[in-house]
Amino acid sequence: MEYYAIVLLVYLGTDLLAAWGLNLEFGVAGVANLAFIVTIAAGAYAYVVFTLPSPAAGGSFQQYVGGLSLPFPVALAGGVLAGAVVGVLIGITGLKRLRQDYQAVAMLVVSLMAATIVTADTGFLGGNAGLVLLPNFAPFSDQDPEIQRWLFVAIVAVCCVGGYLVLRRFTNGPIGRALRAMRDDENAAAAIGKDIVAMRLMVQAVGGGFGGLSGALLVAFIGGWSPGAWAYVETLALLTAVIVGGMGNNRGVTLGTFLIAIVLLQGVQFLPQMAFRIGLREDLGWIVLGVVTIAFIWLRPQGMLPERRPKYGGSS
Amino acid sequence: MSQASPILEVRELVKHYGGVRAVDGATFTAARGAITGLIGPNGAGKSTALNVIGGFLSPDGGRVIFDGEDVTGWPMHRLARRGLVRTFQLARVFGGLTTLENLLVAAPGQRGETLWGVLAGKRYWGRQEGQVLLQAREMLRAFGMEAKADEYARNLSGGQKRAVETMRALMMRPKLLLLDEPMAGLSPSLSRQLEDLFLKLTGEGMSLLLVEHGLDTVDRICSNVVVMAQGKVLSEGRMTELRSRKEVQDAYVIG
Amino acid sequence: MQLLIEAIGFGIASGAVIALGAVGFSVQFGMSNILNITYGSLMTLGAYLGLVLIDRGVNAWIALAAAGVVIGVVSVGFHRWLLAPLVRRGTRAFAVVIVTVSAGVVLQYVIVAFAGPDAKSYGEQSGQTFHLAGLILTASQVAIIVLTTALMLALHLLLTRSTLGRAMRATASNRILAQSCGINTDRISDVAWLLSGVLCGAAGVALAITTVSFDFSLGPVFLIPMIAAAVLGGIGQPYGAMLGGMVVGMASELAAAFSNPAYREVVAFAILILMLLIRPTGLFGTASATRRLTA
Repeated sequence: MEYYAIVLLVYLGTDLLAAWGLNLEFGVAGVANLAFIVTIAAGAYAYVVFTLPSPAAGGSFQQYVGGLSLPFPVALAGGVLAGAVVGVLIGITGLKRLRQDYQAVAMLVVSLMAATIVTADTGFLGGNAGLVLLPNFAPFSDQDPEIQRWLFVAIVAVCCVGGYLVLRRFTNGPIGRALRAMRDDENAAAAIGKDIVAMRLMVQAVGGGFGGLSGALLVAFIGGWSPGAWAYVETLALLTAVIVGGMGNNRGVTLGTFLIAIVLLQGVQFLPQMAFRIGLREDLGWIVLGVVTIAFIWLRPQGMLPERRPKYGGSS
Repeated sequence: MSQASPILEVRELVKHYGGVRAVDGATFTAARGAITGLIGPNGAGKSTALNVIGGFLSPDGGRVIFDGEDVTGWPMHRLARRGLVRTFQLARVFGGLTTLENLLVAAPGQRGETLWGVLAGKRYWGRQEGQVLLQAREMLRAFGMEAKADEYARNLSGGQKRAVETMRALMMRPKLLLLDEPMAGLSPSLSRQLEDLFLKLTGEGMSLLLVEHGLDTVDRICSNVVVMAQGKVLSEGRMTELRSRKEVQDAYVIG
Repeated sequence: MQLLIEAIGFGIASGAVIALGAVGFSVQFGMSNILNITYGSLMTLGAYLGLVLIDRGVNAWIALAAAGVVIGVVSVGFHRWLLAPLVRRGTRAFAVVIVTVSAGVVLQYVIVAFAGPDAKSYGEQSGQTFHLAGLILTASQVAIIVLTTALMLALHLLLTRSTLGRAMRATASNRILAQSCGINTDRISDVAWLLSGVLCGAAGVALAITTVSFDFSLGPVFLIPMIAAAVLGGIGQPYGAMLGGMVVGMASELAAAFSNPAYREVVAFAILILMLLIRPTGLFGTASATRRLTA
C-alpha cells in the first residue's frame, strides 16, 4: 500500500510537470502542440541512453545509441535539454501560418511518425521492445530500497517546486501578456512588434524542457521505456487535464492534472475486476477521458478554474 | 512647409491580389509631421496599398522607403519596431486580455519580454513596467475609458474596440501611423475628438497616413491627399486643388 | 524487377483503398470545413462490423455494403448532433478537432472493450491470382480495385449529373449563396455526411480485406495516408483525393519494397507534413487553409 502511495506521488509529480509545460504552450501561448508527448519521450530516452552502459561493453541484449553511464543529475539535465531541443524541432514544423486545426493535425502526424520511426529502427532506441534495466540512481544506491524510493519522491517534489517557480515567470508579467496576445491574434501581435517566431520557439523550448524533465524522472523511477508508453493518446490525456482544469491557469491545470491523471486514470484500477476481459479497466479510463473532454469543450471550455483576470496597481 | 525629407516614399508599388493587379504601380510620398490622406473610389487599391506598406502583405514589385530606409518586404513586427505602425480595418483587440493589458502589451522594448528578462524576474523589469503602466492609464483617461480598464477586451462595444486599437497603436510611439478608416462606425462627436487628437499628435512630430472615405475628415485634417483609382495614383496635392481636377471627379463617378 | 512489379501491384490495390477513404474524408471537409479525425475510428468500426457479419456467413460484399450503411448513419448523426452544433456556437476549429480526436479515442476503446485487443482477420482469401499487364494481383485486390472504381464513378455521376449532386457542389462552394437559391443546406450536409460515411465504412472493410490481420489501431494509423492523399489532391476536392490516393499508395509500397517495410507509413506521414508545410491547399485545391468553419 505504501508503495502504491509512492507510485501515485511520482506519477502526480511527473504529470504536473508535463501538464504545466503543455499549458504554457497551449493554454497561454496558443500553440496547438499535439506532439507534446514526444518531448516527454525525448527526455526519457535521453536519460536512458545517458545512464545505460555502452551496448557493446555490457554484453547487452539491447541495441541503442549512446550508452554513456553518466550519473543521475547529469542524465536528468540531459533529459531536460533533449526535451527542449525536440520541442524546438517540433516548433519548427509548426511555424507556417496554418489554421490551428491544420496545425493540430500536423502535430498529431509528427507524434505518430516519431513513434513509427523509433519502433521501426530497432538499433536506434530499442525499437518496439524499448529499453530496460537502468542502474539505480547512484547517490542513494547504498540506502535501504524503501528510503531510496522516498528520497526519489523528494527529488520529484523539489523538481516540481522549482519547476513551478520557473513556470510562473513565463506565464505572468510582460512575457505572459505578450504570449496571450499572440494566442488571441497572431497577426495583431506581430503588428505591435512582437516577434512571433521567436516567442513560439521559446515556449516550445521551455515547454519541451518541462516535458523532458517529466519523462526523465518517470523513466528513472520505472526503470524502462518503450513506444507503448508514449502513444499519441497520452498527449490527449494531458490536454484533457489542461482543458478540464482551466486553460492558461496554472492552479487550474494542477487541479485538472490531479483529477484526470490520478483520480480518473489511476482510479479505474480500483474498479472490480471485470470478468470477461483483463485490461478493460484501462479502456474504460480512456473512454471516460474522451467523453469528459468532449463534455468540457461542449459545456465549459474555459475549464473549472478559468484564467484569472490580472490585477494591476496604480489606478486613480 | 517643412523641407525635411518625407517620412514615407512609395515607388511603383505592385501587388497582385486574388488574380487582379490591386495595386498597379503606385507612387506617392507622405510628408513628415503631417497627416496624409489616401482616398479614392472602392476597389482603388487603397487598403491593399496600406496593407503592403504595413507589412501585412508582401509586395510583388516596387519599393517602400521609410524614414530614409528601404523597408520593402519587411515583416510586420520589424516595421513596428522601426516605428511604422498600422491599425486594422476591422478593430482587432486581444479579446482574452483586459483593456489595460491591451495597451500594456503594445509598449515597445519591454525588458520583461526577453528571455533574460524573464529569468531575471521582476527586479529587472519592474520599474519599466511601472512607467508603462502610468503611460497606459494616462491614455485611458485621455480617451475616457478608465472605467473599462479591467474589462476583458472581447466584451467591449465596436466603437470602444476601435478606440482601444488606436490607443494601442499610440502606445507604440510610432513615427508613422497607418490607419485604415479610423472613423468608421464612430459617432460624429467621437470622430471630432479623434481628429483633434490626430492634429495634436502631428503637432508633436508624429506622421499619419490614413485611408478614409469621409471627405469631411479628409478636408479638416489632411494637409496632403493622394488619390488612387484602379491601383494607380491619379493625383497628389491639397484637397482644395484636387476637388476641381477633372480626373479626380471622374474617378469618383466612374471608378 | 520482380520486386518492382509486385510493389506496383500492391501500390494499385493499396492506392484504391486509400483513395476510397480519402474521398469520403475530403467530401466531409469540403462540405463542413472540418478535419474529422474520428473518420479513422469509424473505419475501424466498419471493419469490425464487417467481420461480425462475415463470421456469420454473410457474403463479404454484402457485409461491406451493410457496414458502409451503418457507418454512414453513424456519421450523419455524429455531425448533426455533435459537430454542427459546436460549430454553430462558435467553437474554434482547434477545439472541434480535439472533439473529433476524443470521439475517435472513445470509439476505439469501446471497440476494444467489446472485441478485445487481439488481431482479427477476415480469413483465408482465395488463392486465385490474375495476371494483368504484367502485374500479379489477388482476387480480392482486383475486386477492391473494381469496387473502388465503381464507387468513384458513381460519385462522379452523382455530383455532375444529378440535382442532388449540383446542390452538394453549390453548398460546398458557398453555403450562404446556396441557401439564398433555396437549397436546404442542412439537409444537403446530412446527405453528404451519409454518403461519405458509407465510403468510410466501405473503406474500413476494404482495408481489412486487403491486410492479413488487423486490430483496433487500424483506423488511426490508416487515417494518416488518407489525410495525406486528401491534402495532396487538394482538401475538399474529391477528384484530387482519388489521384492523391493512388500517389500515396504507390509511393508507400515502393518505399516499403526497396527499403524497410516498416517505413511504409512513414512515407505517407512525410507526404502529409511536407504538403502542410509547403502547400496546404494541395496540388489542385482551392480551399483556403484559413477559411472559417461552417456548420
